[in-house]
Amino acid sequence: MLAPFGFFYLVFLIGPLLYLLVAGFFNTSLVKGGLGEWVGLENYRRAMSTEEFWTSLWHSMWFTVLTTVPLVLLALVLALLTDRFSQGRWFFRLAFFAPFVLPSSVISLMFMWIFADQIGLAQSWAKSLGSETPPSWLGDPDWAMLSIAAATVWWTIGFNFVIYLAALQEIPRDVHEAAALDGAGPWQRIRHVVVPMLGRATTLVTVLQLVASLKVFDQIYMMTGGGPDRATEPALLYVYNTGFTEGRVGYASTVSLVLFVVILLISLVWFALLRRTEKEG
Amino acid sequence: MAASTSASADTGTGTGTGATTGPVGRPGVRGLGGGRGPKGLRGGGPWRRSREPEGAPLSGAMRAVGAERLFNRVALGVLIALAVLWLVPLAWAFATSVRSSDEIATDPTAWWSGSPTFAAYGDLLTGGKLPYWYANSFITSALTTVLTVLTASLAAFALSRLRFRYRRPAFLLLLAGLMVPPQVLMIPQFLALQETGLLNTYWAVVLPQVPNVVAVFVFKQFFDGIPEELTEAARADGAGWLRTYWQIVMPLSKPAISAVTIFVFVWAWNNFLWPLLVVTDPEMMTLPVGLTSVQDAFGIPQAQLMASAVLGGVPLLTVFLLFQRRIVEGIAGTGLK
Amino acid sequence: MRDRPPPPGTPPGPPPAAPRTAPTRRALLRAAGALGATAATGGLLTGCGTAIGQGFTGGAGPASKLDFWNPFTGGDGARMVEMERAYRERHPGIDLNATTFVWGDPYYTKLTLATLGDRPPQVAITHLSKIPTLAGAGLLREIGDDELAAQGMTADRFDERAWQKAHHDGALRAIPLDTHPFVLYVRTDIAKKAGLLGPGGALPDVDGPEEFLDALRAAKEVTGAWGCSIASTKDPSTCFRLFWSLYRQLGGQLVADEGQRVVIDMAAAEEAFAYVQRLTREKLVPTGVDSPGAITLLTSGRAGFLLDGVWQILAVQDAKVPFDMRPFPRIFREAAYACHADSHGLVLPKSPSEKAQRADTALEFVRSLLDASDAWAGGGHVPAWLPTQRSAAYRKLEPQSHYAAAADGAAYDPSAWYSGAGSSLHNRLGDVCASVLGGRTAPGRGAARMREELRELAATPSPL
Repeated sequence: MLAPFGFFYLVFLIGPLLYLLVAGFFNTSLVKGGLGEWVGLENYRRAMSTEEFWTSLWHSMWFTVLTTVPLVLLALVLALLTDRFSQGRWFFRLAFFAPFVLPSSVISLMFMWIFADQIGLAQSWAKSLGSETPPSWLGDPDWAMLSIAAATVWWTIGFNFVIYLAALQEIPRDVHEAAALDGAGPWQRIRHVVVPMLGRATTLVTVLQLVASLKVFDQIYMMTGGGPDRATEPALLYVYNTGFTEGRVGYASTVSLVLFVVILLISLVWFALLRRTEKEG
Repeated sequence: MAASTSASADTGTGTGTGATTGPVGRPGVRGLGGGRGPKGLRGGGPWRRSREPEGAPLSGAMRAVGAERLFNRVALGVLIALAVLWLVPLAWAFATSVRSSDEIATDPTAWWSGSPTFAAYGDLLTGGKLPYWYANSFITSALTTVLTVLTASLAAFALSRLRFRYRRPAFLLLLAGLMVPPQVLMIPQFLALQETGLLNTYWAVVLPQVPNVVAVFVFKQFFDGIPEELTEAARADGAGWLRTYWQIVMPLSKPAISAVTIFVFVWAWNNFLWPLLVVTDPEMMTLPVGLTSVQDAFGIPQAQLMASAVLGGVPLLTVFLLFQRRIVEGIAGTGLK
Repeated sequence: MRDRPPPPGTPPGPPPAAPRTAPTRRALLRAAGALGATAATGGLLTGCGTAIGQGFTGGAGPASKLDFWNPFTGGDGARMVEMERAYRERHPGIDLNATTFVWGDPYYTKLTLATLGDRPPQVAITHLSKIPTLAGAGLLREIGDDELAAQGMTADRFDERAWQKAHHDGALRAIPLDTHPFVLYVRTDIAKKAGLLGPGGALPDVDGPEEFLDALRAAKEVTGAWGCSIASTKDPSTCFRLFWSLYRQLGGQLVADEGQRVVIDMAAAEEAFAYVQRLTREKLVPTGVDSPGAITLLTSGRAGFLLDGVWQILAVQDAKVPFDMRPFPRIFREAAYACHADSHGLVLPKSPSEKAQRADTALEFVRSLLDASDAWAGGGHVPAWLPTQRSAAYRKLEPQSHYAAAADGAAYDPSAWYSGAGSSLHNRLGDVCASVLGGRTAPGRGAARMREELRELAATPSPL
């Protein structure tokens, strides 16, 4: 009974993983077929000495920082506030969560229009807020990543919001009451009572968020293609470009494997850190 | 946004010196703690003016009620402002989609159209390849869902009920699979499908998405909750494992099936990178890939782009509205397990 | 980002406790399923059917269908649609299925993946500078003389340079459609005020290093701002085109052996860079202008000249100012006249079977596009189809015919797998050129940096 699943699992997960390990030692080409020639550690050496490899890795991490922080904090704040009201809750849930179910291409189409030069909503709002020459949101290397991160926060905050909201409902009412009796105001209760009790939810949300953000591809591929000047090219797009655009499959396999290890390490380290602070707390 | 929320929080701190609040006994106002009725303490409704404290408040309660009320008002204001901000992109996309290109050219950021037109929608649905993309997305997502539910539930059943020799290693191997982001495997997966000549077929889109470890765990968790006696009884009646699975366990697992179905379907529908790689024929593309790959030769008609964004979003927004509770419960379940 | 695992959605607990809403939900699911089925069957009836069938079986499409891919939008796109319409009218039996994709790397990636996936279009547009990469990867079908001649297409009817560039390994891989060189735009009113116009109102030669600078100085006197504008920000390709045009006039080459060996002529590169830097050091050319900005400088009268590709003709025409176009000036005389150029060509990507290839139909379509070359020329491109290029009608077309001669000096990108339109060679070397143009890098240092970049590219194992 395991066989059907096992088949797909081996063919599309374990097999490919082994292939990555092997192909990383060959100069495999997309168009030539076969593994190509054995090149030893050449691909690894080349990756380590290629600036684009490091910048793309850095872009993935920078994007992760830019999205994870607001996606966790803002989701927490929104959930804390929403938790105070039961009427109208459906409206907030709809507003914050609905974007999450949309495909990335719909998000990209909408935000390319919002961030458009001269005619987009973002520039027009920036102008009405007093900026005379608003930046080209997606065309300026300094702004492009921030703009994409903002769109991403808009898109995916609903997921974390819903997790936090559910976790808040699990907090027993007595806790609030006890704190209130002790003379704690609403803000103090939130800070000292409620938030510490959300540790598990926070661990979960941040780990899922880290992994998801480190794998960013879709919206960057569609909104900037990694530009301007490669200023937004994330690691997965670098894999795509070297593997499928340039056809250097062996090299791209190496980069994939390194990316996999990086994602694994970051999420494990983060998980361990959070677990430890949770225990200490 | 963050600035305004923390400002409101500060206001809360500044005034929140009083002592008491209790849960609120009114439906409609969910006080801190659930609104399931007063218990122990009595207190003022935090944001409803009409609900003044009844009876004699405890000492200092008046000030606390004031702080609570202020805090709630600010909170509500912030929430509504943000929720409206959150609806802006969707609303603007729709507003643009019903304007004529002339109107957009003269005033690109206007919200209202003097003469709304659905022409852009008509053009897309009749002239373009959108109907193909809808069909392809539907077929591939449905196939993925069916295959995932079947294989994952079978595997979960085996792990939950069967006692076989390599059960533990198999389980661990599966667990390890949770750690592998499928995206980093795109190169070997692509090559495998190229070798088998399946590129540009539905199978290329569907098959690699089938091994869904999370779905196995969802089913296993659920099956573990089904009493052993039920399955044992079926076995005693002479039913094989497959019949037990199909006739006893699966009919009992409808909540799990529907949850996995919805999530896998949405997930398959929204997948972008994978279909982008394996489907290049414009008539074989899924909706998300087609929307941004294929261009209109006449430049960039904004109304059409936004209409396509709306049309691309409508199916899933509908699914979301229909299954809102299921979806939200499902995600919430992640946090609580 | 989107890629979260579907969250485990099971409400834990004993199974019989299914939520109360279950029946409704089931009904809804069933309704949705029925809807989907209807949609699918509806599709079957209306012709989606073949596509859906193919989706399951992967077979080739019907013989009457001809898929054509191109990356043209805007003015070029509108012209291409016209040309397709003309074909459809004359060949009602063929279902021409034209698709426009987003221009740039994604287009070539898609073309590559489609060919590897055995479902390429029968005809596709490519830049001829991409032929070494695409043909080297074995993605392009060779086109035989006989089948070509059957459609009336013979070598003597094509522009010679483009025709040569369309070959790879001695075989024809593409049918050239046009040549689009890097040219000089002139504001005739400014040139007139500057006393640059000869009798008859035409701009005389501005050839030679000093002569060209003199012309820019004269124009600058009139505009009060700049002599000539060149896009140097966010446009590495334009910077590379400028360098390459000058460097080729000095006879330099960059790489040999399909990109495996660096043969840069350091003296020539330094000389070309020195000239590039004079343009900005003498404040004749602005720095920090992007492509739309460079065009605006010309159309708003703050620059008398513009160096850019011919395809910008539409943008300049839209501004409704008096202007003319000429080939890129001959600055150096060390080698034959050269200016950067590329060409669009039509290729037949390799199909898995002759049945799917439909080469005869494809070539017939190509011929019909060539016959519409006069329409295509409106977009600035010099037709590669000589019956059009040499026609009286084209000679009368202004300003297009004024720079047609530039096609004879077309200097294509170096031949290498990492080269060609929008390639990493363009981006990397273009950045060096932009840095020299902006005065941030000395000419000698620029040449050295260029050599470093090339060595790195050449050392990357070729996937071909």
